[in-house]
Amino acid sequence: MKINLTKYSLVGIATLLALIIFVVPYSASIEYSLRGDFGKGHNLTNYYWFIHQDGFLSHLSLSLELGLLAGILNLLLMVPTATMLHLSLQRYKPIVDFICILPLMIPVVSLAVGAEYSMPSFIQNSQFELVFFFVILALPFTFRVLDSALSAVPLKTLVEASRSLGASWPSTIIRVVLPAARGGISSAFFLSFALGIGEYTMTSLLHWETFTTWTVVISQQNLLGSIALSTFSFLFAVALLVVIAIATSRRKIRKNSEIQLVEETV
Amino acid sequence: MSKGSELVITGISRSFGAVRALDQFSLTITPGELVCLLGPSGCGKTTALRIVAGLEKADSGSVFLDGEDLLAKDAAQRDIGMVFQSYSLFPNMTVAENISYGLKVRKHSKQKISQRVDEMLELVSLQSKINNFPHQLSGGQQQRVALARALAIEPRVLLLDEPLSALDAQVRTQIRDEIRRIQLESGTTTLFVTHDQEEAMAISDRVGVMQHGRLEQIDSPNTLYNKPATTFVAGFVGITNYIPSVVESKGEVQVLGQLLDISEHSQAVKKGEEVRAMVRPESIQIEKASHGPTVITKSFLGPMTRIGIDAGLKDLIYAELSSKDAKKFEMGDHVTVTIKTDSVMVSHA
Repeated sequence: MKINLTKYSLVGIATLLALIIFVVPYSASIEYSLRGDFGKGHNLTNYYWFIHQDGFLSHLSLSLELGLLAGILNLLLMVPTATMLHLSLQRYKPIVDFICILPLMIPVVSLAVGAEYSMPSFIQNSQFELVFFFVILALPFTFRVLDSALSAVPLKTLVEASRSLGASWPSTIIRVVLPAARGGISSAFFLSFALGIGEYTMTSLLHWETFTTWTVVISQQNLLGSIALSTFSFLFAVALLVVIAIATSRRKIRKNSEIQLVEETV
Repeated sequence: MSKGSELVITGISRSFGAVRALDQFSLTITPGELVCLLGPSGCGKTTALRIVAGLEKADSGSVFLDGEDLLAKDAAQRDIGMVFQSYSLFPNMTVAENISYGLKVRKHSKQKISQRVDEMLELVSLQSKINNFPHQLSGGQQQRVALARALAIEPRVLLLDEPLSALDAQVRTQIRDEIRRIQLESGTTTLFVTHDQEEAMAISDRVGVMQHGRLEQIDSPNTLYNKPATTFVAGFVGITNYIPSVVESKGEVQVLGQLLDISEHSQAVKKGEEVRAMVRPESIQIEKASHGPTVITKSFLGPMTRIGIDAGLKDLIYAELSSKDAKKFEMGDHVTVTIKTDSVMVSHA
């Protein structure tokens, strides 16, 4: 068999570059965060330090809560919107597309002030107003992801097939549309969730304190502790991504394991 | 198995902007009958089918199924099975889950669902694929699952929207015959939409030829081919030679030097008018000659061979002979051309 050396060389170089760009800095961070006092030895002192700081758990849980709510609200808003745009309102897609790009075009300061004053006062006075801001900030990404996922399946025909078989609209959405776009939905959720737990600028501008703003404040007290905190945040986000990815693909893996290989006959 | 129902479509019209897709379209399908709607792209056949299914709204007209007004019902309440061109199997469900989908939403018992799924899998001979996902099946297998899924709910009418278009030629013939066998076994009233005339002729009890949103003619395949009601039907169904001719008298036309009767469904023509006579290739007889028209092309079609003859006209004249008889003709041979029919359909030149 003829081996394409050029192709393999390029793949090798790309992999090496990726390793250098991603692995080296994070490995260095992990190593640095484990250094003991005065750079001697390696231990978990820096991790113990930030865990025992006041507000660690409360801020982390608040950020997780806000991220979770942002993810759910985003799906509640965008899944029906994207579905309708694919089924019967295709002509409105450019308009929605434009609206969803706006959060990237409008400076965060303008967005924060404008949106803040457009909200009812009982929301303005609650830290949960951040959920709405996180949803807005995540729109450009979640809409793209959902739009691509729904474009990849013949949604209109699937819905028509479901309806012709006697399924109601809610049943069709739950049994056909959501599973067909499951990959996109889980990605959209994760994007909103990750943005929610990692957002700093808007939160800081609106004078709310979440895990990210707390991290900035606390990091000023201890250099090695701040690196340990950053490393923790990164690993925590990766772990969440892995958990969500496994949870959303579990059914598929289970089903695939049950079936035998098929011969390509009629 | 379900008993067939009577489907009566009366005066359905549907426009999309300025385009009139259906224009006073009417059709009655008797219980257990398989009717094909045949026509070129954009003739309105799929729109008619989708209106029956409830996936499209009609501007006017009515659709009755066993006397029940279908247009008043939602698509989900019509008890109609539909098979789509693009299979449209639910990708996240196995074959069994796809087939049982309609039964589950109807809240049938688990035992009944399981029994019905087994029956359907046996009907389409796919018992071994029960746990496979759609992407693990070939196109033919997927369409058989789609058919089983549509029939599982024991529909009163089965609608098939170009179900064979995405399949290759060999599989298409196989699935086509299977659809007919299953339809006859189940006795389900069926409306089949296609643009493939061979498919329509092979599978149907009756074929309706459509043009510009209207039915031009609906008849048995045999009648449609041999006694087309309009020049469009004659031209659309089967291969036709359009031979320049001259009207000799009110009922006669001269074609290639032969005097032939003008068929009753022809367009109105005047004496002396130059027209086009429509002659089927199998009605053309050729004999070897020392001079005259020349054999230009020879296409082997299996049992038949189509021979193209240059008779000095704008287009070649095609004759269809048994491949055994066609052996004696080679390209470049001179031949005499005779028309073996008493009457021909004519249209304005």
